[in-house]
Amino acid sequence: MRLTVVGNPANRRVRSFTEAALAAGLDRPAVLPWRDVLAGAAPPESGLLRIDSPGEDAEVDVLLRGPGARAARDGEILGFAAAHAGMVAAATRIASGGAEPLNDPADIAVLCDKRDCHARLAAAGIPVPEALPPVHGYAQLRAAMAEARWSRVFVKPAHGSSASGVLALAVAPGGRIRAVTPVELTPDGLFNSLRLSAYTTEAEVATIVDRLAPDGLHVERWLPKATLGDRVVDLRVVVIAGRPTHAVVRSSRSPLTNLHLGNARGDLAALRAAAGPAAWSAAMATCERVAARFPGSLHVGVDLMFLSGWRRHAVAEVNAFGDLIPGVLSEGGRDTYAEEIHALVSGRWRACVR
Amino acid sequence: MTFNDHYETFDGLRVVEFPLEGPLPEVTGPVAWRVAHWDVGDEAEGRVSAEFTAVLDRFVDLAGAETTHLVIGAWGYAAVNVAPLEHFAALAPRLPRLRALFFGDVTFDECEISWMKVGDVSRLLAAYPALEVLRVRGGEEFGFSPVRHERLRDLAVESGGLPKVFLDAVLASELPALTGLELWLGVEDYGGDITPADLASILAGSAFPGLRRLGLRNAEHANAIAAAVAGAPVVQQLAELALSMGTFDDEGVGALLAGQPLTHLDALDLHFHFMTGEGSASIVAALPGVRVDVSDPQLTGGPHAGRRYTKVSE
Repeated sequence: MRLTVVGNPANRRVRSFTEAALAAGLDRPAVLPWRDVLAGAAPPESGLLRIDSPGEDAEVDVLLRGPGARAARDGEILGFAAAHAGMVAAATRIASGGAEPLNDPADIAVLCDKRDCHARLAAAGIPVPEALPPVHGYAQLRAAMAEARWSRVFVKPAHGSSASGVLALAVAPGGRIRAVTPVELTPDGLFNSLRLSAYTTEAEVATIVDRLAPDGLHVERWLPKATLGDRVVDLRVVVIAGRPTHAVVRSSRSPLTNLHLGNARGDLAALRAAAGPAAWSAAMATCERVAARFPGSLHVGVDLMFLSGWRRHAVAEVNAFGDLIPGVLSEGGRDTYAEEIHALVSGRWRACVR
Repeated sequence: MTFNDHYETFDGLRVVEFPLEGPLPEVTGPVAWRVAHWDVGDEAEGRVSAEFTAVLDRFVDLAGAETTHLVIGAWGYAAVNVAPLEHFAALAPRLPRLRALFFGDVTFDECEISWMKVGDVSRLLAAYPALEVLRVRGGEEFGFSPVRHERLRDLAVESGGLPKVFLDAVLASELPALTGLELWLGVEDYGGDITPADLASILAGSAFPGLRRLGLRNAEHANAIAAAVAGAPVVQQLAELALSMGTFDDEGVGALLAGQPLTHLDALDLHFHFMTGEGSASIVAALPGVRVDVSDPQLTGGPHAGRRYTKVSE
């Protein structure tokens, strides 16, 4: 079994996957750096092809956004749509040489566009928060919210990852407005911070939304999440070869649960106890159904929330590169990368798709 | 406990969610039922959510006669739908055994707390003369009128900014059975304008002579509150004191340790604080035999280093 990994060689994702392959007795996977892919490297002609995240590399980011792109400053929100287009084009090309992709570029394209992903899940009857029709600016956003009679929404850049550029926006009569977001509004542009800010003036919120809008927005109803202790919680569930194998609880005292925002991993046993066996099983079944909508993907990372009261759940996001959850083991004692390798070696992956 | 909680227990009983559909779940032993319905379409400004009251009415139909403990959660979108106080008051004959009520268990994920439209919660006491425990949470239009209530044992008022007019109405009330009082003072930006001087009659022990448990929590000026408490006569009659969830730091420790003895307390709650390790160690060491809660330190050098804020200030 010959494996090629497209990734950023210094990134821990690539290192961890490589280690998992070696630990399983496989040959060391060939690493095909994203920067080489974007410089026109030839696609592999055989074997299996893993495509991993191009993120966390400033040089790769510039290359993804294409000729004439300038480097983003640290944390800067810049050119999400161009980066997405560049990634999809490059992934498609590199998967066209004959190697069998472990994540189909067509799946990646959908997974990395929150509008398309939401539409695919909704069409399959998978529970997702309702979404607004496309909006292209703040005024249109407010009009669509009023039309839907929603006071609370998540505004997400269509191609953002993690919580990048996301706003938890609440409005109330009397012109009151509050947006909680990692976005820092500066005269120089928009930046993601590791700390959340709350904007309470319409002018600030409108400026942020209008600056994000040209790269595409996806707006969903903000559904209150279930709580454990004094925090709201949701789950990252990694589904590998069709089965939910790893789950991590993300808990927060803010509406955004992403772990890099100072939030804590929560207690999975406590969450399962609070949800109860029926609700837990239903949620895991939903994760399987999500993965089944992306049959060309060995793994997907499903962000699943139980709604306030625990009776219902919904899928908030699905991540093409959502398998980086260090230290979390499957029932078989494997981390996500080892589980992926195991699915390949045992034939579970092929059995799953064919 | 914070605004972020849906309380898992209330007045010692496990909280069980009343389902929006189907029969009452089977439970063993007494429980606190929780009734909420955030997912409503009728976000008509200033109206009570008819969808919420339908759920509440169905609950009362099924379990009203036996219910002793009740938690009222989101009544629609609480920034738009006003709290159904009158509706709830009118249900009193059908909730004859109600003894403990938490009105307003709404999280930040359901409504900005400072936007919650609650109204005059003394209405609940007037309607339920047998109530022994009342916990309320509110933001906007959060009020109280002087009442006389013979049975109320515990009153807790949760807010991100409690106005002095609210406190004054509580102080003007006659609550002869009151042994527990918890006030979340909050921050000025959200209307919290209570100073230690405003608390004088509580601290003197004259406002509520039977007081055994006092919480002055979530305070923007927690050290000043601590300094006032350190010399307050009421402390000698207390078994439990809470100065938690505010900006309490080593200055507050100094004030408490320089004041009257606190070793008679059963519990001193200081959780969510800005003490240094030395500060929290010194207060724990000074109070052997007292359960001192110094958990959840905020001086972690983490992303919020340098900022001081109360736990609930939104």
